[in-house]
Amino acid sequence: MGAMLRQFRRAPGRIVASVFALALAVGAIGVLAVPRVSEGSLHDAVGANGLGDLIAPTTPLDERQLGAIAALPGVRVAEGTVVVAAELAGDDVQLVGLSPDRSTDLLTMTTGREAAADGEAVVAPGLGAIGDRIRVAGHDLTVVGTGETLWWSGEDAVYTTLGTVGGETTNRLVVIVDDDGEDALKALISDIRDVLARDGDTFTDFPVTLPDGTTPIDADIRQISTLIGMLGVMAGAVALILLASTTNTLITERTREVAVMRALGARRRPLRRRLRRIATGITAVSLLLGLPLGVLISNTIARMVLEKFVGITPDVAVDWRVVGGSAVAALIGARLVSARAARRVTNLPLAAALRDRDGVAFGRTALQRLLTRMPSGGLLSRLATRASLRRPSRTIAVVAQISAAVAVAFLVPTLATSVNAYNDAAYSVWQWETSTTARDPGLPFPAALTDGDASSETAVMVWGAIEDWEVEVFGLADGSRMIDPDMRAGRWFTGTGREAVVSAGFAERTGIAAGDTIDVELASSSVQYTVVGLVDDYSRTMYTDRATLAGDLGSPGMANTIWSTGAPAPDQSIAGVAVDVTTAAEIRAEGGAGRDAIVVIFGAIGAIVAGVAALAVMSSMVVSLFERRHELAALQALGARRRRLRSLLARELLPLGLAGLALGLPLGALGSRAIIGSFESSNAVDIGVVDATGAVPYIVGATLLALGALAALVVRSAARRPIAVTLRGAA
Amino acid sequence: MHSTPFVTAAPPAAAPASLPSLVEMRDLTRIWGKGAAAQVGIADVSLDIGRGELVAVVGPSGSGKSTLGALVAGIDTPTSGSLVVDGTRIDRMKVDELAEWRGARVGIVFQDFHLLPTLSARENVELAIELGPSGAGRRLRKRAALAALERVGLDSHARKLPAQMSGGEQQRVGIARALVTQPALIVADEPTGALDQANGHVVFELLAAVARAGTTVVFITHDLALAAAADRVVSMIDGHVESVTSRRMVA
Repeated sequence: MGAMLRQFRRAPGRIVASVFALALAVGAIGVLAVPRVSEGSLHDAVGANGLGDLIAPTTPLDERQLGAIAALPGVRVAEGTVVVAAELAGDDVQLVGLSPDRSTDLLTMTTGREAAADGEAVVAPGLGAIGDRIRVAGHDLTVVGTGETLWWSGEDAVYTTLGTVGGETTNRLVVIVDDDGEDALKALISDIRDVLARDGDTFTDFPVTLPDGTTPIDADIRQISTLIGMLGVMAGAVALILLASTTNTLITERTREVAVMRALGARRRPLRRRLRRIATGITAVSLLLGLPLGVLISNTIARMVLEKFVGITPDVAVDWRVVGGSAVAALIGARLVSARAARRVTNLPLAAALRDRDGVAFGRTALQRLLTRMPSGGLLSRLATRASLRRPSRTIAVVAQISAAVAVAFLVPTLATSVNAYNDAAYSVWQWETSTTARDPGLPFPAALTDGDASSETAVMVWGAIEDWEVEVFGLADGSRMIDPDMRAGRWFTGTGREAVVSAGFAERTGIAAGDTIDVELASSSVQYTVVGLVDDYSRTMYTDRATLAGDLGSPGMANTIWSTGAPAPDQSIAGVAVDVTTAAEIRAEGGAGRDAIVVIFGAIGAIVAGVAALAVMSSMVVSLFERRHELAALQALGARRRRLRSLLARELLPLGLAGLALGLPLGALGSRAIIGSFESSNAVDIGVVDATGAVPYIVGATLLALGALAALVVRSAARRPIAVTLRGAA
Repeated sequence: MHSTPFVTAAPPAAAPASLPSLVEMRDLTRIWGKGAAAQVGIADVSLDIGRGELVAVVGPSGSGKSTLGALVAGIDTPTSGSLVVDGTRIDRMKVDELAEWRGARVGIVFQDFHLLPTLSARENVELAIELGPSGAGRRLRKRAALAALERVGLDSHARKLPAQMSGGEQQRVGIARALVTQPALIVADEPTGALDQANGHVVFELLAAVARAGTTVVFITHDLALAAAADRVVSMIDGHVESVTSRRMVA
């Protein structure tokens, strides 16, 4: 500690700068904590909110049927709720009837209390305030609180008592089981179907299962988190380089001091130990700042992810493994780097070290001597090139740091352009402008509703599962005008022979080929279809005949969607059925918002990585120039103006910048392919990569400008010191 | 070295009457830091140096001789006083003006040579022309650099890197580098300090020959024997000029 304090007194500015650089490096490693912090927050929310293991809309069920389901082996809780699609002040809302003594779908209250009596309601934040009188689905309600459940988190929902909305039967089943493994839940779906079938009831939509304590958006969060983790690894790697170069600086600066001690008889081993202690001591102090900074970074990004994608605001969480890992990595890193630097400093020829030279000779190897004989531009260019070749390891480190920054700078816009292109491609097959969908489960419209209307068409749109993947299942009219499929293989289905067409990307990833027979899990039952074609639609979808699908769903001749090539219908209900009306433009805008969210999150991480990389480059260059300060001072003494010095440094940095660009751009392209590939394989869909080539000139310009600015900064700082003082090597 | 500035002013030590002044120092003072931490390099030094004169500056360590040399060479700026070199007042010049002036008017020889380690002997010499205002083309620069190396007897070492040369050879390259721009003034700060006696004499003789050819040389040294061979010896102590002795007087 005493040694550290002495170091601090000697050069407080430099020590504080080192501490901050190291703290930022350690803080950047905090990006690695984002996945666990996000998932941890989400799982805490699951536990606290009583989210079920299986959730399914059903035909109306009574207490007896719920009791029968609760009696199934392994079922701990089976509860019913009522969900009604409704309107509040012209906006779509879900009216949810909840039992007061339930153990699932627990409300997180923002203000007030839960509805205790019929006629009372809790509204989602922003929908109303305590004391408001509202009318929803024909019920007059008094708002007694604001809050939400995890299931409807971020959605407009009004929560009231079961008695308020009818009470005798429920239409949404929530089950909690002892064994929430995937297989057990699958078996349970079959058992529940049997129970429902006894009274002629059924699931009205595909049941959602949340195995192993997951949440509905767990997979999405995990994906995003994995991707953030990939960037986190990059941030961590760059941070370690920064750590290494800062530690290296701390020791290199003591070259002369060490030489004096050696000249006075100090042995090298204790000197090395002392240098290592200084470096690890300063790193330890940096951890005090860096670890909280890392926690802040991870929580800020986790909050952005959860708020953008889930609509919940998580509490502050700490991933102790990353905290501990960062601390250990920083200390071990500092120790290893300081050991190497200490060895170098203590092994320098004493005479050179006493003259405060770095001892890196040039011309000792045949290659270096050969280089001096090769024509390579003007003197300043030669100086610049040879300076880089004199210390190859540092040059490689600087190029690596520039590459990392460039890679991230290219990766983020590439993700944006790819998501953009994906959004466009995913909707390009559809020809409709307006989609009107029944808000409640089931198929409430007669399929013949639009017969004779050339601009409209009914369809069936439900969720199903193929090969354990959730897929969108569309039942389309024979010869539908609402889709323009781009077939990759086979042909479009016909209305006979239980034919289906599936997404080509999905088929490729699940081994489905034209001609295969596939099992399709629907809300009602498991059915088989023959795949006759594969379509390029950038989604996970099965298309089949409308009548066949409606029959499979137990509602022959019915549909739940109306597509129209015209403007949106002004009515919010058709034939007395509450509907959601969505336009193609709205869907595209939603896709754009999703892209923006991704860009914001990855942009934030990218900024951290690029910032740390920039600091690392700066730190490396500062070390390099610190070691060469006598050379720079000699150049000044010979008459070099600051412009010449800037030019010299620019010539030195330019090839490094170009090499960093040459490596970083392909690295960014590869990184974006890895990230999108990970998305594709974890979603079994085609997404495709569209490189943000338009960003390249900006990245090149920004890199060169940044290096130019660095050169100017260094020269400005060097020019402040009298040349005579630098040449004498005075501290 | 004193921790407070001297306040006494000394009369300027004039250049020999036969020589017009190249360097004119008046009340030249250099102090680093402020208040109690202030360190005085030189205080109120007034001295003239004539054209073509070989002046040796001697004195114990910390007497201010290197500070004086640095100021005259324009690699440091005085805290107060005026400094005119070759008709130009350099104490008020800005950083870049001073750099340009150095490149055109001064050659500097350092005790530690300060050759650029990645450049060959010829390239090191050529660099001085490149950084100077001559605007000479590459071929001309190369020829001039080789001629300067020949002058110090190192034309055969032109392609060698500093790491491949002895200390004496490196210092001779340093002298060639100082000479190549044909400056009006050469400031050599303990150029023999890192050399053995034989090499020290070679270096001194080279500088003396330069002076004989008409270039003013300020030669800072601890070696009184070498200093005695200079036209004048400026003896410094505690940041002041203690005495100025001409060779004729020594003789």
